[in-house]
Amino acid sequence: MGMEQVWLLPAIPAVIFALMGLFNRLVPRRGDFVVILGMAAVVVLSALVLLDFQGSFKDGHFEPGGSNAYAFTWVEIETSVVEKLLLIEFSTFVDGITVLMLAVVSIVTLMVMIYSVGYMKGEARYGWYFAVLSGFGAAMLMLVVSGNLLLLYLSWEAVGLASYLLIGFYWERQTAAEAAKKAFITTRIGDVGLLIGIILLWRGSGSFDIQEIIHFAEGGGYGETYLTVAMLMLFAGAAGKSAQFPFHVWLPDAMEGPTPVSALIHAATMVVAGVYLVARMMPVFDVALVARDVVLYIGLTTAALGATLGLVTSDIKRVLAYSTVSQLGFMFVALGVGSVTAAMFHLFTHAFFKSLLFLGSGSVIHATEQQVVESLGGLRRKMPVTTILFVIGSLALAGIVPLAGFWSKDEILLVLQDGAGFGPFVILAATAALTAIYTTRLVLLTFFGDPKDRHAHDHAHESPPVMILPMALLALLAVVAGFVALDPVGKALGFSGGIGEVVFTQGHEGHAFKLDATIALGATLSALAGIAIGFMYWWGAAERAVRARQWAPEFHDLLVNRYYMDHLYQFVIDKVVLGFASVVAYFDRWVVNETGVDGSAQGISFAGYRLKFFQTGRIPNYALAMAIGVVVLALVAVGRT
Amino acid sequence: MTQNEGYLLLALPLIPLAAAVLLMLVPSGERTLIRIVTGVASVAMFVISVYVFFAFDYRGEQFQGVLSWPWFENVGFLGENGVQLKVGVDGIAAPMVLLTGIVILTGTWVSWKQEHRSKDFFILLFVLVAGVYGTFVALDLFFWFLLYETAVLPMYLLIGVWGSGRREYGAMKLMMMLVAASILIFTAIFGIFTEAGLGTFDLPSLFDATYDPTFQKIMFPLIVLGCGTLGGIFPLHPWSPDGHAAAPTAVSMLHAGVLMKLGAFGIIRLGFQIMPEGGEFWAPALLTLGIVGALYGAIGALRQTDFKLMTGFSSVSHMGYVFLGLGTLNLIGMSGAVLQMFAHGVMTALFFLLIGALYDQSHDREINHYSGLAKQMPIWAVFFVIAGLASFGLPGLSGFIAEVHIFIGAFRAYPIVGGLAVLTAAITATYLLRMFARTFFGEADPRWSDVGEITWAERAGATVLAISIFALGLWPAPWIDRIAMGLEMGIPEVLS
Repeated sequence: MGMEQVWLLPAIPAVIFALMGLFNRLVPRRGDFVVILGMAAVVVLSALVLLDFQGSFKDGHFEPGGSNAYAFTWVEIETSVVEKLLLIEFSTFVDGITVLMLAVVSIVTLMVMIYSVGYMKGEARYGWYFAVLSGFGAAMLMLVVSGNLLLLYLSWEAVGLASYLLIGFYWERQTAAEAAKKAFITTRIGDVGLLIGIILLWRGSGSFDIQEIIHFAEGGGYGETYLTVAMLMLFAGAAGKSAQFPFHVWLPDAMEGPTPVSALIHAATMVVAGVYLVARMMPVFDVALVARDVVLYIGLTTAALGATLGLVTSDIKRVLAYSTVSQLGFMFVALGVGSVTAAMFHLFTHAFFKSLLFLGSGSVIHATEQQVVESLGGLRRKMPVTTILFVIGSLALAGIVPLAGFWSKDEILLVLQDGAGFGPFVILAATAALTAIYTTRLVLLTFFGDPKDRHAHDHAHESPPVMILPMALLALLAVVAGFVALDPVGKALGFSGGIGEVVFTQGHEGHAFKLDATIALGATLSALAGIAIGFMYWWGAAERAVRARQWAPEFHDLLVNRYYMDHLYQFVIDKVVLGFASVVAYFDRWVVNETGVDGSAQGISFAGYRLKFFQTGRIPNYALAMAIGVVVLALVAVGRT
Repeated sequence: MTQNEGYLLLALPLIPLAAAVLLMLVPSGERTLIRIVTGVASVAMFVISVYVFFAFDYRGEQFQGVLSWPWFENVGFLGENGVQLKVGVDGIAAPMVLLTGIVILTGTWVSWKQEHRSKDFFILLFVLVAGVYGTFVALDLFFWFLLYETAVLPMYLLIGVWGSGRREYGAMKLMMMLVAASILIFTAIFGIFTEAGLGTFDLPSLFDATYDPTFQKIMFPLIVLGCGTLGGIFPLHPWSPDGHAAAPTAVSMLHAGVLMKLGAFGIIRLGFQIMPEGGEFWAPALLTLGIVGALYGAIGALRQTDFKLMTGFSSVSHMGYVFLGLGTLNLIGMSGAVLQMFAHGVMTALFFLLIGALYDQSHDREINHYSGLAKQMPIWAVFFVIAGLASFGLPGLSGFIAEVHIFIGAFRAYPIVGGLAVLTAAITATYLLRMFARTFFGEADPRWSDVGEITWAERAGATVLAISIFALGLWPAPWIDRIAMGLEMGIPEVLS
């Protein structure tokens, strides 16, 4: 088992999805163990792929061999003139970021599946739920191993479908059905851009193969404007999937899905697909620098926007969703300055602590059936283990040394300072401090203080081991994942120079992890300050928070209404799009149909009605007409001669 | 495919005709016997269609299984091989034969519950199918047109007698528009016959003949408008939503699934294959009508509240893709057009099957009257979602394969048009997902608590159609090989 057989990784859960989707009723326990064992096998195989990959890592360099590509032809049109008019291959490609994504996807998926055994117990569609999780895993794994843009697009849509099915899992609830629709349509609009971008790249290079496109772009094959347009289109797809401004509106609503799904799809894996795509195409973005700058500023906007919204949201899962939006913005900022290393590192650490936080919130919801933070509180006594694990995740998110988030966030601030100057750096650093504030607020309101909803508090209980265990493992990773960046750990894992040397796309220079003392100290201090501010406002009765709200009510309204962006979109859809559709529908009914088709029919009947009066049945009338005819013809004949 | 297998091609129109004759002899009360006759005939057609599709050798001759019997020769204006019964398939017709086989098989099954004058219904339906098959396999222009009309005319009675809603209006409008369009085709056919001056209606000979470019430029639009009307080309589409809304289930399935494809097929056969220079001249116009129709149908569908009207608009939109693909004048785009003919055929047949299954129980097609249907009809909802996903081009299903070819072809021709075509797919997703969220999901409406799951015949039919959707979506090579070969050999002059 090595990199050539990497197609097995998506194939296993795909087959399980097909079988369990159709036949889960015939299997004991609705087949949950089959799904979990399949994913466990994928984890093992990922490790084997990693080992094989390590083997090709010599003298501080990854040896790029053509041998890691596996391909079979899916669509092929040849003509006698052009040999490869159209060629779409199912091909796989493995490099550093693939290996990293494989590790993240397989581990988090497995943890979430195990957790779901406890969380989803007794659900009516339990078997279907596990089947779709397996299908999601297959699609996500295929996405990260595909070496061909159309195969990537296929998997991209497949993860979107899995997300649709899982957000809408409780479809009897109208809100869930609407949220699933919103997520699918919003990302679909981004995907219009993605498909256009892919076809534009093909139109220039004649290939869908990612490596060939990269070579073609690096060789200056595309015109500058053309490539910028193509990459911006591609980025629209990435922004849609990764919930970046202005597409971010779907992610908070997606919290209608079961909480483990939020942890897996809407925190750790699917939503980072956009980050992965941009990282994968980074050598091409390096040629289209205008497009790369757009990535930077969209990322920066989203990071700040998500963090501010996280401050005022009262649904525990939605706070985490806005936090995810914001953290994904951090990753795009890193990509915007061309650092695949920093972005992928943050993706790696974020996957563990954010899925931990979501599973922790799931534990709370499972115990209390309450997810409004203002109604929670004091849960630390009832759920001590969950509290500890949640706090670990929160500290990692806030970026407290030595937890995972600290290392990767630091790296992003560092590359940003080097790459984009002072302004963006200050904004992002402030956002990092805001992160600490909203995280503290979330922890204090949920687990500390006095319980506000007695009933919910009374029947709260600690979650069963099957839910605690995956959380504990993720918490462990949230503590140690950052260390892989360090040189000694990297050496021990077989990569001298740490993860920075591994995580690079081919032809793109990676760089070793650096720790800048000033930035590290500054970031730590601002994170601590953020936590202190959080305590100041929300510890105890949260009087200051109430006063702060009264101090600037307009700003608070703006945040509570999510900058009115959802309102704006709703307005555009209801009034502009549907209004235009009404015009078209009326045009079709009244102009094309009533006037054009029915009108011509009525015109003919009317003409027939009028003309029938010429048929009088009286000989003199006919004779007269005939005589006139003869005279006219005679005149014509005379005129001709 | 050997020449002797041409008898199978001949059997394709003869089996339904024979079945129709046989049905005339069956007393109308004998429902079991009617089912046996129709069942056997439809399975036979299906099996032969599948065989023909796979037996067609995409590395072989352009036309395969060619057999001919002269009918009129050397009399009057007719010369050698004047009018002959000639059959044969090429790479374009082979997938269409397969499509017809799939749709008639499933259409027959779901029509078994038709209570009202069941025998007469099947007689007309089978005559219609004989015409469809005949048009796809005919290699003689005279028979081509004769069978084309045979396929169209039974529609009037099928909708007028067995339809619902404004059925007389729908039937009349459909018939008037299609007959008027046929006049244009008729004119063009005689123009072609005269201009070629060969004294024969033999299609391969007419393909090889040379025509004056001016003549081609005048005649090509007649074919596009004439055949395009049946294909639902914008702005000659208004028969489609009303006709579909009024038609009974199996007729909607056959009509949207297969008959509309006859129109597009005619544009390729009589338009591009006979008059390539005319096609080249008019391609930008065809492409424009295609993209306008695609957008227009999709945007119009956003506002429809009747299941069948929505699907009717959706058909206009999807057929717009076909004309767009044909207008790209490159092999990828045109292959996409033919793929789309197949993909839309199976997908829309599934839509109409499912809408019919609901309507038969509830007698209500108003989308807003429903909610939470997935509770009562989970299997129905699953099939509907599959058809919907195929419709808006989810990769792995049939629609994507067709659309991606059309998009790529369009981008090669005019990138702006390609961009608009991709956007259309997103609009399609919008109207379908909005309907899913309202109608299938949410709380179950107690009003429909007695609506139950679809029957076994409907499940079987939906399964066959869904398998076809997955087959093309996952393993498109057999289709693409045949279609690309058929187009490359059929219209080498225009493919750049």
